Amino acid sequence: MRGGRVSAPELVTLTVDEVEVTVPKGTGLVEAALAAGIEIPVFCYEPRLGPPVGACRMCLCEVAPGPPKPQAACTLAAADGMVVKTARTSAMAAEAQNATLEFILVNHPLDCPVCDKGGECPLQDLTFRYGPGNTRMVFPKRTFEKPIPISPTIALDRERCILCYRCTRFSESVAEDGQLVAVNRGALTTIATFEDEPYRAPFSGNVIELCPVGALTSTQYRFEARPWEIQNVPTVCGLCPVGCNVSATTREGRVKRILSRNHPEVDGGWLCDKGRFAFGHLRARDRIEDPLRRAGRRRFEALSWADALDELERLLRAGGSSTVTALSGSETVEQAYALGKLLRQGLGAHTAVLPEEVPDALDAFRAPLSAIRDAPAVVVLCDEPVAERAPIVDLWIKAARRRGARILTEIPEEPLEGAVLVSDDAARCAWFARDLGAAAAFYLPRTPNGRGVADAWSAAADGEPGDEEPRLLVVSRELAAADPSVRALARRAEAVVGIGMFEDTFRGLCDLVLPGTSYLERDGTTVNLEGRLQRQRRAVIAPCPDELAWIARLAERFGVELSPHASVVFEEVSARCYGGIGFGDVGERTPLPARAESRAPVAAPASAPLPDGEGLRLVTYRPLFSGAAVERTPELQFMRPDGEVELAPDDARARGIRTGDPVTVSSNGTSRELRARVARDLAPGLVRIPRDDAAGLHDVVEVSGRA
Amino acid sequence: MGARAMLLAGTEGRDLTRLEEYRAIGGYAQVPKARAMSSDDLIAELQAATLRGRGGAGFPMGRKASLIDRGSPRPKYLVVNADESEPGAFKDRQVMAEVPHRLIEGCLIAAHAIEAKDVFVYIRGEYLAEYEILQRAVDEARAAGLLGDVDVTVYRGAGAYVCGEETALLDSLEGRRGQPRPRPPFPPVQGLYDAPTQVNNVCTIATVPAVLELGAAEFAKIGAESSPGTAIFSISGNVVRPGNYELELGTPMRELIYDWAGGIPDGRELKAVIPGGSSVPALTPDQIDVPLDYDSLGALGTFFGAASLIVVDDRCCMVQLALRSTKFYMHESCGKCTPCREGTRWMVQLLERIEAGTAARSDLDLLRSVGDRILGKVLCALGEFAVYPVRSYLDHWEDEFVAHLERGGCPFAGESSLEGIVAPSDAHARHAAAEVPA
Amino acid sequence: MTGGDVARFAEEVRALAARFPDARSATIPALRLAQERHGWLPPEAFREVADALGLTPAYCHAVASFYDMFHLAPVGRHLVEVCTNLSCALSGAQRVVDAFEAELGVRPGETTEDGEITFRTVECLGGCGYATVVAIDNRYRQHVKAEDVPQIVEAVRGR
Repeated sequence: MRGGRVSAPELVTLTVDEVEVTVPKGTGLVEAALAAGIEIPVFCYEPRLGPPVGACRMCLCEVAPGPPKPQAACTLAAADGMVVKTARTSAMAAEAQNATLEFILVNHPLDCPVCDKGGECPLQDLTFRYGPGNTRMVFPKRTFEKPIPISPTIALDRERCILCYRCTRFSESVAEDGQLVAVNRGALTTIATFEDEPYRAPFSGNVIELCPVGALTSTQYRFEARPWEIQNVPTVCGLCPVGCNVSATTREGRVKRILSRNHPEVDGGWLCDKGRFAFGHLRARDRIEDPLRRAGRRRFEALSWADALDELERLLRAGGSSTVTALSGSETVEQAYALGKLLRQGLGAHTAVLPEEVPDALDAFRAPLSAIRDAPAVVVLCDEPVAERAPIVDLWIKAARRRGARILTEIPEEPLEGAVLVSDDAARCAWFARDLGAAAAFYLPRTPNGRGVADAWSAAADGEPGDEEPRLLVVSRELAAADPSVRALARRAEAVVGIGMFEDTFRGLCDLVLPGTSYLERDGTTVNLEGRLQRQRRAVIAPCPDELAWIARLAERFGVELSPHASVVFEEVSARCYGGIGFGDVGERTPLPARAESRAPVAAPASAPLPDGEGLRLVTYRPLFSGAAVERTPELQFMRPDGEVELAPDDARARGIRTGDPVTVSSNGTSRELRARVARDLAPGLVRIPRDDAAGLHDVVEVSGRA
Repeated sequence: MGARAMLLAGTEGRDLTRLEEYRAIGGYAQVPKARAMSSDDLIAELQAATLRGRGGAGFPMGRKASLIDRGSPRPKYLVVNADESEPGAFKDRQVMAEVPHRLIEGCLIAAHAIEAKDVFVYIRGEYLAEYEILQRAVDEARAAGLLGDVDVTVYRGAGAYVCGEETALLDSLEGRRGQPRPRPPFPPVQGLYDAPTQVNNVCTIATVPAVLELGAAEFAKIGAESSPGTAIFSISGNVVRPGNYELELGTPMRELIYDWAGGIPDGRELKAVIPGGSSVPALTPDQIDVPLDYDSLGALGTFFGAASLIVVDDRCCMVQLALRSTKFYMHESCGKCTPCREGTRWMVQLLERIEAGTAARSDLDLLRSVGDRILGKVLCALGEFAVYPVRSYLDHWEDEFVAHLERGGCPFAGESSLEGIVAPSDAHARHAAAEVPA
Repeated sequence: MTGGDVARFAEEVRALAARFPDARSATIPALRLAQERHGWLPPEAFREVADALGLTPAYCHAVASFYDMFHLAPVGRHLVEVCTNLSCALSGAQRVVDAFEAELGVRPGETTEDGEITFRTVECLGGCGYATVVAIDNRYRQHVKAEDVPQIVEAVRGR
């Protein structure tokens, strides 16, 4: 993205195992060999973790020119005329790799039969191909207490650890949380957290996937499956607007784990812990499997599908064009379209509460998320922490900083060549993208598929919204049901229909609830914050019928033609707003649509003035580790915010407050007792509190320490 | 050949830790001379002197300076390796304790050669007295305006042998666990804080003023042809007068052991000499007529190393010597690369079994094989330092190893000079679960 | 440490950090400073150093645990360390160790019951020509013989 500079890379030609291969200069030998179709085995090498460290010595090869001993190929770059011999053609390399494996195995417990990694373990695979077939080690192996829970989601087996330092490098150099470290020295080295405190950081689960042995395992997946019993379904996470590409591992119709599936432009192969661990919500205690009807103030009773559809039809006819739809932004494009078509074309009910307003003007600044990493400067205009809204974006920004980019949290005085803008405010994002001449701009929406839902709703239009007082309110999914403005609307409506997964969310709110599917249980498409269409696939069968199936049946009763198949529904939407691309074209690695040449006018955003005097402006946010799915995943409870208020360093110092201090936050007679955290990324004059902890507080608050 | 004071010149009867005393013998006179020269000329002069690194590898100091990427927009750094931790070596300590200003003078000249404005002296943490002396000398020199626009920072390590390896030293100096880095990139291109960095041993840098004072041509005439100059030889173990002796390079080893250090005490017989610190292959009594210089020792299959001789007499059991030595390298292995971390521990286990007399003949082959599998495959030389001496003991004294097996125990029967040697108590015993089972 | 002490410590550490191109370089000096204050490195010491330098306590612990001179468990008021590496061992260091064990009534790695003296055997201290080397609170005593040990212990206890 850097100014669109195009220069042909200098090429070099080298020989790997007698195969000549030409690669760009600077290509690592591991990649160069791969280009020749030859494997150089590795454990510690992982380019996404930063420069190579040359620790494990698995990649030893014979390299000329060079000293007459095996070289760590992972630390060398391809050069013209270089001759590389791997274990296939060099006795020296074969002996070296065999030696490395022998040394790794002298203290590895070989408890493979009961190891979760067994069958998908690089150590097994490389030993099979390059290792010794016997052991000469007859002494007691190192023993440790095992497994140790380093958090409720991750177990550590120190005996299996081969000290490749992938996990600690991830913690230090990718997530930058600095919590997982190597302690002690030499043969006594172990991986540890500080004082055995839980590894509490939003990306911790990536270390499980990085571990090349069974040292770091998922507590959720422990003893749950053998690799030959599972299926991995490629899909896209539905829990935030990034849409990380994932694989859902299933066994006997149940999701057992979620793995990242590297999309180099979207997620770089990383996944946040919500996306990884929150699938437990599929089997929540209050999961709705049958239609429910109000049977008391806070009680539901189940009813048959036939009765439910009759009841719904009756409510819809009564609501007529005065039916208002509250969409959450967590529906697929197809679900939102089907609902829109039924309500708009069947009832003339054009009024909707949409989750997001994304200015078209931003389409002119479209770019892959990876453009953040490559930018010379990143302007982050966010009141909310980036990681709480769109976690992976935070990793891209950190990657940019490590590459030397300037990271600004205020609007620069002068335009910055090639700068990329990231903002949690759509209007400000659109305005400053143009004002700064940004190379790319990313608005971080609040909901996973707000854009796709808005697209679909408008694609279903055959009329304009009026100013309807809601007679019937349709509340689609938990995010909408939790929205205070939707709840206010519900109080004015004569009847409320809900669609969703969890009974507790809709209790007391709805007269009729239809069961909803999870993103892991449905087929369809979503639009992420880049504007990229991505494909969700059904990994497991839902405990209830698919939404499209019953919406289609209902549509028939209103004379609206609607397919129950996502592929057909998508093509209808696509013809109207996605240039007619086919469902099958929204593949596993969807390309980003081209930039729009938008000249749409953009309004200057209103700026929130900082309060005068002692007060601080309160910013509330919905934390990443909150919401219906997280609440229903026992292993993630420790990640939920714990009554913290964030202060800018200057404001904290002025009040004599340090991280961890108990403080009182108050405004107009309401006060909350919270713990302070000094946040270096917060602008002076602001305080930040998770929404649930800020109940009753006004926009301007005072913070004071408690002795 | 023989004694010649260069590094330690003037210490006789004078307290050269004091600035005025050092200046009285012409100290710091070479700094203005160097600063009047261009960097290129100064580097050329150092190259012409063939001043070989005194830290162990013997790489010519001037050549090292010429590799510095002076065109880099980043700052350049000079780092002095004062982490002297090689068992047998205690020469740098004496230089810092007795002629700290000579070291500082050398720093200022070398810094000028590579256009560095920051010098870091990384001194091992245990050398507290030497740190204090050196720090006081730096303060004195600064107060006297001798540093000019160069700053010298004395940085204390905290107890880790591996930090004597130059890239581990740089990581430690950056505030990290001191673990070696892969090379390339080499420090002259990407060293401290990723900037071009020259790393030299204390004695190398402290010799630089003499090179300028004498001129490269004169300097090159001193000592051995391929290794000019003097070296401070540390000699310890079973000799009558252990200590440091500054001699011209090329002095015969026999002269050092028998004339300077007084030979073997108590009428015992010489059994072995480990010539470069405990990490190098040992020599047998019939090999000690070798001149003490890099190439002559190299020709015998050993190393000049840290110019530190450990003399071993006939009371010593070579299996115990091997075991004690290997325990040290196991203790100091940083844990980064697999062969060193796992191999040194395996070697200790094997040697313990041999010493106990419960090993089989095949265990000797296994010990050799484990060593072979470490050599040439490690990230830095530490793992090889564990292997070199042990392999030489096996080669020269194999009958003694075999005697342990045949006798079912140590043939010295409790009379070895190393009997009952102990390994260091675990500094971090808090992690009891991590104890190495013997 | 009290709140004021912590603030002063943080100031001192930041002053240390200012002497380096990268503040991280102050980690080892800051840990040493913390150890001087606490006598060893308790968990709060890592928090204090981490806070002052913008690092994590885990990172500071990782660094400290790499180096032998940092104490991750409480030690006595005084530290007695005997070199047992080759040159000292060839010259009788083991007899010096035995003498300290007898005099102090503890094994290497242990602290006397009164909490006064921690006794350790250590690797080469760089005094090979002056064996046996004993470091008492980081100050070297050289040419130590077994018979010197009672007097050394008495002097240490008298401090």
